[in-house]
Amino acid sequence: MEAAEYVTDAPVATAVHLAMTLRKPLLIEGHAGVGKTEAAKVMARMLGTNLIRLQCYEGLDAAMALYEWNYQKQLLHIKLSEGSNRSVDEKEHEIFSEPFLLRRPLLQAITQEDRSPVLLVDETDRCDEEFEAFLLEVFAEWQITIPEIGTIKATHPPHVILTSNRTRELSDALRRRCLYLWIDYPTFEKEVRIVERKVPGVNARLARQVARFMETLRTVRLAKVPGVAETLDWAQALTALHADHLDEALVAETLGCVLKDADDLKRFKAEVSTAGLSKFVALEG
Amino acid sequence: MPARDLQRAVVRFGGLLRRHGLPVTVGELSDAVRVLDHIDIADRDEFYTALRTILVARLEEIPIFERCFNAFWRPEPAADPVMPGLITIPDGEPATPPGTPKVAGQRRDDVALDSWMSEDEDGETGAPLAVPAVSDREALMAQDFSTFGSEQLDEIVRLTIQIAKRLARRISRRRRPSRRRGPVDLRRTIRANLTRGEIIELKHRRRKRKKVRLILLCDVSGSMDLYSRFLLQFLYALQNAFGRVDTFTFSTRLTRITEHLRGRSYRQVLRALRDIRDWSGGTRIGESMAEFNAQWGRWLDRRTIVIILSDGWDCGEPDLLATELLRIRRRAARVIWLNPLLGNPSYEPLTRGMAAALPFLDHFAAAHNLDSLRALAGTLTL
Repeated sequence: MEAAEYVTDAPVATAVHLAMTLRKPLLIEGHAGVGKTEAAKVMARMLGTNLIRLQCYEGLDAAMALYEWNYQKQLLHIKLSEGSNRSVDEKEHEIFSEPFLLRRPLLQAITQEDRSPVLLVDETDRCDEEFEAFLLEVFAEWQITIPEIGTIKATHPPHVILTSNRTRELSDALRRRCLYLWIDYPTFEKEVRIVERKVPGVNARLARQVARFMETLRTVRLAKVPGVAETLDWAQALTALHADHLDEALVAETLGCVLKDADDLKRFKAEVSTAGLSKFVALEG
Repeated sequence: MPARDLQRAVVRFGGLLRRHGLPVTVGELSDAVRVLDHIDIADRDEFYTALRTILVARLEEIPIFERCFNAFWRPEPAADPVMPGLITIPDGEPATPPGTPKVAGQRRDDVALDSWMSEDEDGETGAPLAVPAVSDREALMAQDFSTFGSEQLDEIVRLTIQIAKRLARRISRRRRPSRRRGPVDLRRTIRANLTRGEIIELKHRRRKRKKVRLILLCDVSGSMDLYSRFLLQFLYALQNAFGRVDTFTFSTRLTRITEHLRGRSYRQVLRALRDIRDWSGGTRIGESMAEFNAQWGRWLDRRTIVIILSDGWDCGEPDLLATELLRIRRRAARVIWLNPLLGNPSYEPLTRGMAAALPFLDHFAAAHNLDSLRALAGTLTL
């Protein structure tokens, strides 16, 4: 997985390996910004296959996830062929055929021709319980019935990765059918490696300082604990400013990359004014 | 090592997990057996991760899994230094069954819960109790929970369940009529007009209303002891009658007990709850609310009602309680505080904690008898 630009540790690698071997959906949970979605992208890159993404949101229903008829096109077609002498049956057959079908992510995932794609069901916790049950049904059969066309069965069932931010508890039924992976905030060493790999031209000392800073920051009680995404944003910003180490002025200027909540900024400033910045920035190599 | 032995051991391990509350399915176990061929079983870490990935389904289960794993798959003694991490196949049950180590200070709490359980058992196995007449029941409705004797327990439990069920039905059925029309639903429009050749009747799509969710935070500290037993019964009944409830208990720390309350009989629930530490200790409401916000704050939204059951005797910082309540208030649809002491006419919410909390509450009501629980219904619809 390292080859695919993803800095990983053993549990993530093992879980992805198992998901591919057992051909079971993998449910990934973790705090915001720890690289849950990234894991799916990497899996697709490793397998050299397409990534199909289904972004969940409240009110998402089967029609939007599966397929929809292209009604505008159908109406237009009916109007255009008004003068022709074809029978109603023929016309109906025509407008309910593949060219008029809009493939939504789930149908796309099933109808891949050459190889199994990776299907990413992102932020599964945001969809309704009814949709969750529908997903279960699809995962169990990998076939979809469209009344006008017939049953489509997947020749290459996709590899599935579901992510969740735990804004809602997913049902037991879904959980028990999935492999489970919890991604925690990275360790110091891992975060240094991530920064070095993802931010080209970053100063080695700066990378270590940033990682140490983030590690300490996450121990402070914050409303929005910064994830790896924030670390990378920050390291990128600092590199763009040609910084090679952290100091108080620089931190104050760029902290907006890391803390995105007014209360958190206040709390951090209070922490620094009592304990000093040295708590966050160790004087090391 | 013979593969069959290892497979059997994995199945036995599944049994051990089940006994410790992990609902491991047959499918998961067969996956676990299947995967043995695909991983390096000599690598203890990889073996651990693989089993965990398959057999665990949520974050909360990981600590239990880890305890069971370490007790069951003991590392091979250092006799064979070449492969120090090798796992050994256990013959039978682990010598030391995993479980929460008992702390001396927990004794008292165990006793408190034990006595509930024994009372409960008496009610189930003992001679049939006389069913109170209607007038008796009315008297029960108004009686303060703290004055109930154990002989009345059965009836009160039954009434509590009844109220919870009625409450649940009311919450889930309530729909607000809306005259506003949503966007045009093309699929249904075309279907409805297929035979006409022209679009005459437009079908609209109305956004489905998200159902109300309850989050219950129940104080189980010493000062609430007399009430907790009934409130807990109420929570149990409410949760099992109404799906979208999440229940937490707090005293000095916060514990999510939703899973413990689900299904099962009330007696089993009490047994499971006995293992939860910190039962009937002091109270630190502010800290507990902070913990809730940090861990579960994301669950709050405009369709969530938060109910706090507590007498407001707070040994922590009132300022912290105020900040954290504000945080909840900002995100949730409604914050309701039920205080059993409010049933007493001479009570005034003057405790520091309670005074700090008051400005942030939508409702502040009593919860000292069955009537007050019944009155809750009105505040639980959005």
